[in-house]
Amino acid sequence: MTNQFVILTHQLTKSYGHCKAVRGLDLSIGRNRITAFLGRNGAGKSTTIKMLLGLIRPTAGSGEVLGRQITDAEQNREMRKRVAYVAEDKPLYGYMTVEQIINFARSFYSDWRIDVERKLLLDFELPANRKVKSLSKGMRTKLALLLAFARRPDLLILDEPSEGLDPVGIEYLLRTLVSCSAEGVSIFFSSHQIAEVERVADHICILEKGSLLMDASVEQLRQSYRRIDIVFSALPPEHDFRISGVESVKTDGHQMRVFASRNAEAVVERAQELSAVSVEIAPVGLRDVFLETVGEN
Amino acid sequence: MLSRCIFTLIQLTVMFFKLNPIAGQPLYLQLMQQIRHATETGALQDGEQLPGIRTLAEKLVVSPNTIAKAYSELEHEGLLELRQGSGAFVCVKRRIRSLADSVLVARRRIRDLIDRLRDDGLVDEEIRRAFEAELLFPAEVASKR
Amino acid sequence: MLWYKAWLETRSRFLVSLGTLTIFSSIFFHHALYISCLNTLPCPEKISHSERISEFHRLLFINQQYVVIMWILSVVLLGMGGMVREKALGTSSLTLSLPVSRARLMRVRVATGIFQAIALGVVPWLAVLIISSRARMPISVAQVGFYILLLVGGGLIYFAMAVLVSSLVSGEYTAPALAFGAILMGAMLFDNWLRRFNVWRLVTGDFSVDRNTFLLSKHLPWPGILGSLCAAALMLLASAVAVQKKEF
Repeated sequence: MTNQFVILTHQLTKSYGHCKAVRGLDLSIGRNRITAFLGRNGAGKSTTIKMLLGLIRPTAGSGEVLGRQITDAEQNREMRKRVAYVAEDKPLYGYMTVEQIINFARSFYSDWRIDVERKLLLDFELPANRKVKSLSKGMRTKLALLLAFARRPDLLILDEPSEGLDPVGIEYLLRTLVSCSAEGVSIFFSSHQIAEVERVADHICILEKGSLLMDASVEQLRQSYRRIDIVFSALPPEHDFRISGVESVKTDGHQMRVFASRNAEAVVERAQELSAVSVEIAPVGLRDVFLETVGEN
Repeated sequence: MLSRCIFTLIQLTVMFFKLNPIAGQPLYLQLMQQIRHATETGALQDGEQLPGIRTLAEKLVVSPNTIAKAYSELEHEGLLELRQGSGAFVCVKRRIRSLADSVLVARRRIRDLIDRLRDDGLVDEEIRRAFEAELLFPAEVASKR
Repeated sequence: MLWYKAWLETRSRFLVSLGTLTIFSSIFFHHALYISCLNTLPCPEKISHSERISEFHRLLFINQQYVVIMWILSVVLLGMGGMVREKALGTSSLTLSLPVSRARLMRVRVATGIFQAIALGVVPWLAVLIISSRARMPISVAQVGFYILLLVGGGLIYFAMAVLVSSLVSGEYTAPALAFGAILMGAMLFDNWLRRFNVWRLVTGDFSVDRNTFLLSKHLPWPGILGSLCAAALMLLASAVAVQKKEF
């Protein structure tokens, strides 16, 4: 039942000549969740988002957003009425004033919230009569975000929303995201700020070189992803620790570091079987989960 | 079951929950424990109303799904009563109140243990890691000297 | 509010062009009245009234040549912009994420340009008409209408050419330069081999003017105008297809 998913793609692919920006992507982003899209620069996040919104045509594969086909121009346009999107470069019309561009955006959407618009205008301290081109970068970012947050869409897609914001701005952004989510907006955002993602995301998708490497619940990761540090008097071969759930094994002298996305107990058991001198288990923060997942590839 | 947040409780004041994303424990479980503890120590009284899901999510800056899950699990346990339209209300049963005493006793014991470990020469960081390791993985950890 | 956006984007260009064309036409008209001794000042030479009228109309015809150049210049500049230029400026993500089709975006842009082109053809001549009636030297409205129809009907093809070039090329200066280059090249080539089809001569009234009276006295060249409009429509269609296919 596609109602459960706000975004659903099937083998979505985009090639530029010989280079594959996105390879056979199968995304399933759940409704009423905050999902973070992580990946290195050039991993294909922006390309994927642009395909979803009809700015770019996929080379192969298909996708649905809010139940509508992304490759059908008319369906995509219908879908865009219920989707708010802020691109990575926070695009705005330089020749319009703050007030003009807000009036402009407002005229297209029936889900516009004037009360939220006024509150954000005040909180962001945006001068209504100043032309956009003479605003500072931080103010432009806030204005671009305002155009999306002053609505109540079904889906909010943000590409690197915290870029250009100072820490106070980032805190405000996260609080606003959370507030939107509480009102039933599904949120899909890409970010490099792992600390922020860690606090608010329910779910993460890690993209690397156009392929989906991880699609997991953040709480599940907190529960099961572990780092196990083992000291041996005589180092056993690495492949002894290639148990199901183990993501990576690294050795340095007598020490072995194992990252396991699940099944950490089995690793500890194996260490004990192989007469380990000491075993320490620690939780793994999202930043290390990301580095391990992307690094191993 | 002893709360995992023993170390963070030292800073805890009424209604100031603190969730640690890197603690190796799902946030909703942390929140559940902190709410439970608040009811045990009497910081939250029977019949008192907890903040709404949206309000608490904004305050803690975490996903509302976390708050919703914590509240719903606590309702399942019988600690909270979720009233449609009004919010979440605490309903502490009489027998749980005695737990508050056990917690106080436990904390005294832990204080003694910590003092002894410090006398043994362990630093606070080492003590904390030892507790974490034991709590995260209760099976026996092979540690030979 | 797409119309509002199109207006804001072209407002300066339009108003400057309008001002320039109107002021130029008015001044030239005054000059023509003076030169042909048709103003209220006493005339130094002794020429017959009909000769003065004829001279006056000749000057009006010359005015049209200048107006045509300026009008084409203005209309080409007004045809610039669009989604391809927005991509270079970085705002295409915003415009294309609006719940409007690319076809609608193009329609609004083109319609705005056409209205502006018509205004740029009508207003200067209107100013001339007003000044002439105050000078008690009324020009026939039919003549003025003829000039306007030639200019706008025949000349929209230049606007369409500009729209097509701006749908293929994104540079702020390369696009108008290319458009002008194409127009000038076209005018020269057509003049050499297919003079009958040279739109430039059509819009300036070259095919319609009577060389004795300098009045546009022949029949309105409907085939020429309609042919030019058809070509314009085809170019606009090609622009729409180009934008539809483009990746942003």
